[in-house]
Amino acid sequence: MYPAKFDYYRANSVEEAVKLLAENSDAKLLAGGHSLIPAMKLRLTQPALLIDIGKIDSLKNIKANGSLEIGALATHARVAASADVKKWFPALANAASLIGDQQVRNFGTIGGNIAHADPASDPPTVLIAAGATIHVRGASGTRAIAAEDFFVDLFTTALEPGEVVTKIEIPNLSGRKSAYAKMSHPASRYAIVGVCAVLSMEGDTCKEARLVVGGAVAHATRLSEAEAVLKGKKLDAAALKAAADAAIAQVGDDAMGDITAPADYRRAMVGQYLQRAIQSALG
Amino acid sequence: MEITLTINGVKKTFVCNPGDSLLRVLRREGYFSVKYGSDDGTTGAAAILLNGKLVNAELMLAAQANGQPIETIEGMAKGIRLHPIQDAFVRTGAIQCGYCTPAMILAAKALIAQNPNPTAEDAREALSGVLCRCTGYIKPIQAILEAAAVMRGEPPTEIDVNVVQPLTFMPGDDGGQSVEPPEFPSGSGGTQTRQHILPKFIYAPQAPQTRVVGKPETKVDSIKLVKGNPAFVDDVEFRGMLHAKLLTSPHAHARIVKIDDSEARNMQGVHAVIHCFNVPRVKYASGGQSYPNPKPYDQVSFDNKVRYVGDRVAAVAAETLEIAEEAIRRIKVEYEILPAVFDAEAAMKPGAPIIHDEDDTEGIFDAQRNISHHIHAQVGNVEKGLAEADHVFEHTYHVHQVQQVPIEPHIAISWWDADERLVIRTSTQVPFHARRMVAPLLGLPVKRIRVIKPRIGGGFGVKQEMLIEDIVGHLTIATGRPVRLELNREEEFVSSRTRHPQTLTFRTGVNKDGQLVAIDMKVIGNTGAYATHGLTVQTVTGLRGLSTYKSPNMRFECFVVYTNIPVPGAYRGYGGPQALFALESHMEEVAHALGMDVIEFKQLNYIREGDPLHIAPMLGEGEAENVTSVPIIMSSGLDECVAQGMDAIDWERRYQEGWRIDPARPHIRHGIGMAICMHGTAIPGLDMGGASIKINDDGSFNLLVGATDLGTGSDTVLAQIAAETLGVPTEDIIVYSSDTDMTPFDTGAYASSTTYISGMAVKKAAEGVREQIKHRASRIFGLDSTEGIYLKDRYAWSPDGRSVSLEKIALHSLHQEDQHQIMDTASYVSMASPPPFAAQFAEVEVDTETGQVTVKKLVMAVDAGVVINPITASGQIEGGMTQALGYGHCEEMIYDDKGRMLNAELGPYKIYAAHEMPELETILVQTYEPTGPFGAKAIAEIPKDGVAPALASAIFNATGVRVRDIPFTPEKVWKALHS
Ligand SMILES: Cc1cc2nc3c(=O)[nH]c(=O)nc-3n(C[C@H](O)[C@H](O)[C@H](O)COP(=O)(O)OP(=O)(O)OC[C@H]3O[C@@H](n4cnc5c(N)ncnc54)[C@H](O)[C@@H]3O)c2cc1C
Ligand code: FES
Repeated sequence: MYPAKFDYYRANSVEEAVKLLAENSDAKLLAGGHSLIPAMKLRLTQPALLIDIGKIDSLKNIKANGSLEIGALATHARVAASADVKKWFPALANAASLIGDQQVRNFGTIGGNIAHADPASDPPTVLIAAGATIHVRGASGTRAIAAEDFFVDLFTTALEPGEVVTKIEIPNLSGRKSAYAKMSHPASRYAIVGVCAVLSMEGDTCKEARLVVGGAVAHATRLSEAEAVLKGKKLDAAALKAAADAAIAQVGDDAMGDITAPADYRRAMVGQYLQRAIQSALG
Repeated sequence: MEITLTINGVKKTFVCNPGDSLLRVLRREGYFSVKYGSDDGTTGAAAILLNGKLVNAELMLAAQANGQPIETIEGMAKGIRLHPIQDAFVRTGAIQCGYCTPAMILAAKALIAQNPNPTAEDAREALSGVLCRCTGYIKPIQAILEAAAVMRGEPPTEIDVNVVQPLTFMPGDDGGQSVEPPEFPSGSGGTQTRQHILPKFIYAPQAPQTRVVGKPETKVDSIKLVKGNPAFVDDVEFRGMLHAKLLTSPHAHARIVKIDDSEARNMQGVHAVIHCFNVPRVKYASGGQSYPNPKPYDQVSFDNKVRYVGDRVAAVAAETLEIAEEAIRRIKVEYEILPAVFDAEAAMKPGAPIIHDEDDTEGIFDAQRNISHHIHAQVGNVEKGLAEADHVFEHTYHVHQVQQVPIEPHIAISWWDADERLVIRTSTQVPFHARRMVAPLLGLPVKRIRVIKPRIGGGFGVKQEMLIEDIVGHLTIATGRPVRLELNREEEFVSSRTRHPQTLTFRTGVNKDGQLVAIDMKVIGNTGAYATHGLTVQTVTGLRGLSTYKSPNMRFECFVVYTNIPVPGAYRGYGGPQALFALESHMEEVAHALGMDVIEFKQLNYIREGDPLHIAPMLGEGEAENVTSVPIIMSSGLDECVAQGMDAIDWERRYQEGWRIDPARPHIRHGIGMAICMHGTAIPGLDMGGASIKINDDGSFNLLVGATDLGTGSDTVLAQIAAETLGVPTEDIIVYSSDTDMTPFDTGAYASSTTYISGMAVKKAAEGVREQIKHRASRIFGLDSTEGIYLKDRYAWSPDGRSVSLEKIALHSLHQEDQHQIMDTASYVSMASPPPFAAQFAEVEVDTETGQVTVKKLVMAVDAGVVINPITASGQIEGGMTQALGYGHCEEMIYDDKGRMLNAELGPYKIYAAHEMPELETILVQTYEPTGPFGAKAIAEIPKDGVAPALASAIFNATGVRVRDIPFTPEKVWKALHS
């Protein structure tokens, strides 16, 4: 299967990529290509120019220094294996390790993943729960977007035309308990339902819970009702059940359905996986 | 654009287009080990190492790899010395068709480079992105552990069978013999993860003493596969070769009013556009079956009507695939859209759209009601039997549509040779049928066509068709050029063949004591748009449904119905898996209703040695049926299979509440289930195999067989049979198979027939050659008779202990005296079809909160007669069970209300991958089948039969919920649990 004809250019720096994007309205960035190339083969998208940013080494780094910074071109494999990520925010390392298979993790990037904003992706869910910030750069300079505001709809983000995601910043989460629980699509392993829980605990009382669902809805979303239910509560079975019910109610008619998991089933699973994420965060 | 790649250490510069995938460029440059399997990265067949990391070459542009080092398996062996990973893949039998092997070996290489001490878990995860449809992953995982050990400097594990004692009285056992299990090398320190390579093995007391047969010989084709040599259909290059592409129907049912192909024709690089308005209308049935093919002949190469989404409309041949794809988009077709029907029962109702309303198709049972065939068979009097029974039970089951999913999709290349004969190199299971069937469509006599089947990447029945050979043939005739057509993954799903969905109802009468008195079986089979295999698959469903259990009264009533879904055809197991899911589920339900133990109930009623199969003569292959007498079971190890299986799965746990419900995880339930299986071995009176053997100067032999090795190992098994008979090692037999110009006829690889039928032909031919060798030897020995002369270890031995080498005999015969080519040809057809038997067991874990069923373990104890090669036999069982697991657990073709398949890629369509495999245990319970070569029966299809009903049984044991339709997807099980 061949994509429509296009030109290819390999950018050597972010500046160059930004410049090319500004000059070519019909251009797209190419990172790993693991979402873009299949879409081009199916002619769902037909850019006239691909700007390959895959060799810009400065965007591949992961470093922890006050906050955790992950370059947009870090592959899923790299995120999953990074000692810093494992220490700083293990739920993200875990989520990255659950993406697709080895070949996908070796070539797909976290920046491409979030820019593509597939509703069944894993990283968006985890990044919102962490309160991460997405750093982007465009012709008019840089900006920082809260992860929560970044994902707008199915395959739609807050990125303006011409902007490049450069890095993802995760605040210091020390003292929080976190976990990601996922029901994978049996074949592709994309998330049917993925829930990330980040909890601040005082003894067995929950001071604050950040709970985010992905997969089941058009874009990763905070389960604010369930968060409110848990605030100040002991996290016993009854509290978890109440949070699950609140999450199911919040998802409501927004639950998406497909041939593998119809909407009613997916909605019910949001409740299950919410409880599993919390239980696993509590250890 | 120009790119530079360092491939296997050699720097090369190529010119390519931005849109070329790395896969296309590598194959174009001759790196044929990198395979096409999908366009979206889901088969992993195109995996390579880029900077040492495993990546999918079809999902990246060649341009993205510019300047970087790439490894393929072409670079791994040093001359004839294999890399330890390649060697381990060969020795452990990790290769079947070999299509996924290059990717698996690279995955192993990347893993071991990073972790020299991998566990089985690491190996499973490393392979998880490389789909294999043949092996069930067990042997590849063992190969990785073995390779890692050898690379750490540990000695290689010796590969041998694990002999165990029978648990029951075995047929032919005089009670005195006891075969002690030999000591096994446990693999030295640090290799805890290495396991016994081969399954449990029970000797048949009457099995003949053999030296080659019965031994775990490595596959004769494994070296070329493990090195990635150009062995497959697509691994060749022809000057001037054109690329073909199909235009398929977007509508489920429509008449083609007009085709405007002018824009496509006028494109630069397009050489032909063919469709119903320029290709002659010749009727045929595409199923690769013996002459005369069962009717109706309801197909033509290109019809003026389309009957499903994916049906053929036109084909293009162009200079490149890219141009061909573009030309297809520019063909304008005017359709008159007709109402469509997808459900078989709805299709039979008055007022349903008539799918075959053409007036030139003969032999449709009732075209007005869309019924292609009506099948009826009865033994005794079922109504009377039911009326007299103490209890009558009735249940209805539904089985769905799945696809065979060979990792190599259909591919064919055709060209005119120097003699202006059309050569078709094709991925087929039936080269001889394909030649005979394609000839009239192309308007060529059979003698002007040669069909070659090289190494092929799996078939499983989907290639028991004359499917695309006519298209490449038409295009070569139209253009005079070589033409290549490869289906992409989506086309493989919708435009090739699938398994028949069915609704099956069993009504059974039993006496108080549990004895069956009547079985009434009704089936509605959905044959989709065309009836290819429609009659015979459904007939086998009846045969399988009414063979396993004895009853004086039995009846089979079946309608085979046209609908507008993609076409079902042959799929490993044929109609058997459908029948056995319903039959075994039903028998268990009957046992429960009677309050009897399931196994006791089944054992009370199942068929045994000496029992007749009354229904068999009535359910043969249509017009071609040649068998009229009632067959008798000559060998059955079923009791032993049941006993071994119960032991291996620890059956008694299923009765313990404390085991079924896990106190630590109360939402989890455990269960164990089982099913009995019985299959056939070849189509009696119909399947025929031929073999020729000739001696070479050095005393080696060419074995020429029509039999078609799809990856199953049949070339190896046939070589072993020849080697055994001729007293030489397997390596002295050079096998060449399936080329209509070069080898004798064979019906092809289907109906579990190759070992039994073609094996017997090889044995006969080898016996003929042996006689000629003995004659020559007697002359050299100066004896007047061949009496007492025998062949062993590459020598002929006289009764008085003298010997002469086969090489001397060959030279003597070919060059020295009364010159003569020692050779013989034989063929074989059998009136018997001795059934293999098996007991299938499954252990599952059910998550009651999500409906997810996790299969923990499958055990299959199989009586396939004497096993010719335990490696290939256990490979067949492991791979077959894994396919069957997909059938029962997760695979399903799903459509929208317009008949468009919604999951025609392997991202949405799920087949089992390495990381989620349950433990698989195979137990080879050997019996001696007097009609088979060295006592062998068939093994290829029976592993498809029992997994789905064993899962149903295990889920019931775990949860008390009975699900009567497969597959057991989480959503379905969850709804069943919560309804
Ligand atoms: C078989 C398979 C299974 C998968 N399973 C999963 C899974 O389980 N979970 C999961 O989360 N994902 C899964 N994925 C998706 C995978 O994670 C991809 O890597 C990811 O979606 C895209 O990353 P990429 O680097 O390949 O992006 P590309 O395909 O190169 O780009 C995707 C889009 O993002 C844009 N883009 C890329 N980089 C940037 C940037 N820095 N700034 C702005 N825009 C940019 C591109 O222009 C394009 O529109 C799977 C993919 C495949 C093929
Ligand atoms: S051996 Fe793996 S696909 Fe055939």
